[in-house]
Amino acid sequence: MLLTPILLVPLMASLACLLTPSRRVMEVLNVLAFAVALALGLRLLNQVLAVGFVAEWEEFLSADALSAWMVLLISAVSLAASLYAGRYFRRDLASGAVTPGRVKEFFVLTPLFAAGMFLVVLANNLGVMWFALEATALSSVLLVALYNRKTSLEAAWKYVMLGSLGLALALFATVCTYAAAVGLQPSEKLPSFNWSHLMTVAPQLDQRLIKLAFVFALVGYGTKAGLAPMHTWLPDAHSEAPSPTSAMLSGVSLKIALYALLRFHILTTQCVDSGFSRTLLLCFGLFSMFLAAPFILVQTNLKRLLAYSSLEHVGLICAGIGMNTPVTIFGALLHMGYHALTKPVLFFAAGNIHQTFHSLELRIIGPGVVKVLPVTVLLMGLAAVAAMGLPPFGLFYSELTVISGGFAAGKTFVSVLVLVALVAAFCGILTQLTRILLGIPKRERTSDATPWDGVGAMALLLVGLLVFSVWLPAPVLQLIQQAAGIVGGKP
Amino acid sequence: MIMTSLPSTEAGTQLITLLAALMLVLQLLLVVQRMLLTSIRIFALQSLMLAAIATVVAYYHSATHVYVIAVLTIIGKVLLLPRLLNRLVRRINIIQEIEPLLNAPTSMLICGGLTLLGYIVARPFTTLEKLGNNTLAIAITLLLTGFFLMFNRRKAITQVLGLLTVENGVMLAAVALTTYGMPLVVELGIFFDVMVAVMVLGILVYRIRESFASMDTSKLSQLKG
Repeated sequence: MLLTPILLVPLMASLACLLTPSRRVMEVLNVLAFAVALALGLRLLNQVLAVGFVAEWEEFLSADALSAWMVLLISAVSLAASLYAGRYFRRDLASGAVTPGRVKEFFVLTPLFAAGMFLVVLANNLGVMWFALEATALSSVLLVALYNRKTSLEAAWKYVMLGSLGLALALFATVCTYAAAVGLQPSEKLPSFNWSHLMTVAPQLDQRLIKLAFVFALVGYGTKAGLAPMHTWLPDAHSEAPSPTSAMLSGVSLKIALYALLRFHILTTQCVDSGFSRTLLLCFGLFSMFLAAPFILVQTNLKRLLAYSSLEHVGLICAGIGMNTPVTIFGALLHMGYHALTKPVLFFAAGNIHQTFHSLELRIIGPGVVKVLPVTVLLMGLAAVAAMGLPPFGLFYSELTVISGGFAAGKTFVSVLVLVALVAAFCGILTQLTRILLGIPKRERTSDATPWDGVGAMALLLVGLLVFSVWLPAPVLQLIQQAAGIVGGKP
Repeated sequence: MIMTSLPSTEAGTQLITLLAALMLVLQLLLVVQRMLLTSIRIFALQSLMLAAIATVVAYYHSATHVYVIAVLTIIGKVLLLPRLLNRLVRRINIIQEIEPLLNAPTSMLICGGLTLLGYIVARPFTTLEKLGNNTLAIAITLLLTGFFLMFNRRKAITQVLGLLTVENGVMLAAVALTTYGMPLVVELGIFFDVMVAVMVLGILVYRIRESFASMDTSKLSQLKG
């Protein structure tokens, strides 16, 4: 019994937060729940490495290396977000930006959001995976609308409309896959609708239906994963949500939708046995990367800038998987992990900046934030260096892995395109951030956020990133290699 | 292929084709309808057709499991959701949709084109339909026209209705393509999700009304780039 507790712990925390009136208790409960989830995730890692496939409730819940890797990411990012959230909302309450009721809403919905994500990666049934993803969308919509500003309502409305449309298409994909599975069994009994079962019969499934399903899944789950050109909700939702939520949306939520898409990709590859799905993934990935770069350059809002950077990273992950060599897939999965450790730091820092300057507009904030919030800017600078893909941070290593894997496999043209997009985004982030962070402030500012606020959560993530950049523990390495094998179509 | 031993499958096929066609007709009515309360009623009627199709499938395939879908559809989409939406419309006191982006004749023409597209897309898959002809084509058409409805209207409530008709299209595809519907746990999950989705949308619509003093989504245009 390991998978059930991973789901139940955040659910219980959410319920307990609903019942308790004390904000302190809610903060502690959130942190505690995600710490426990992380510990359980580590145990799951060991178990998956030992037996390969863990299942519970007659295979209703199951986990392989890919799901175990995602569980680790979800719990790590959620833990950091809940560590940061306590102080963040205390400052917001003090300045009157939110009401206590809304803060309670946050602490109730965040564990629900996380529980939904856990269910997405642990569900063996396609349909259950779909409605878990819908549950994450619905809980995060209310989180995006938390501040109840005009702009945050607009962002939430776009998010829920596009997200629901995407999920309706994904449901259609699920129906098509089910139709293919039903056609296979002449008996009157209901066919099993589990991934593990579908994979065993994959070569016999109707190829046209599976292809149709993949196209719908790509557009549907792709919307939720923020792939261009279905990404239009992404910068709005990321910039209007409270910072801990932005961190979770960008750090894991996008990757969870990508995980759902990957499951369809794996099935399609098994069934059709051609480059059909991987070519599509590669195209969408590259398009996202190239679309992100110019938007980063012209962005005037800090959190929107970070959101477009996430778009670029998701594009890279997609492209890496689309290139479909063992090395690039490994690089892409590794990139997921490093990005999950980096992006929240940037969003937390943006949260501190927002609360100090009461704006996210670059021309109002900068230049010279370093004089007002020295510690925040130091950590943000380090995370930005990581996000741009400079050594010694792991993102440099994972990006290099993807590109070198591409060159080694003779995919020169694609690899050069990836490289160009990365360089463009690099220049964009560098110019934009140096302009606001460094330099001399135009006006005198008094900082109402004490310099050390939120530093704990940020430092924790950065130290984790740095440690894992230079020393990746053998079990984790093995897990990612196994996961890469699953995505690449090896048993 | 499932060969059912019941002799009157022909009648069932015709009945389903008829009901699916009615769903499409109602969808087209929805596209040109501007009164919100009438729109909600049309949606309820369309969901009733869906429930009827599920009942026919359940009867001719003696699949008791599909009766559950029919009952759930009636409870959820014919009774509960329209009532919720009605209350919302009355509470925010808006009766009529303002002029849609495209006028009625143009909308009709576009929906005609979308229907054609639906039939073209569904063509290679007609052999897979178990019961009822053209149901998959109609399902895809409902999907496409539902999208069109969402883009063409500016009131938040009508956009929600568009989304719900898309859902109806997907459910029709589920029934038409697989006859058995989906496994029960999935069905329950979907209905639960639809209910929660409408509640969340209701909360948002209400808040938008409060802070924009309208639910005109074309006023939601501050975030760009």
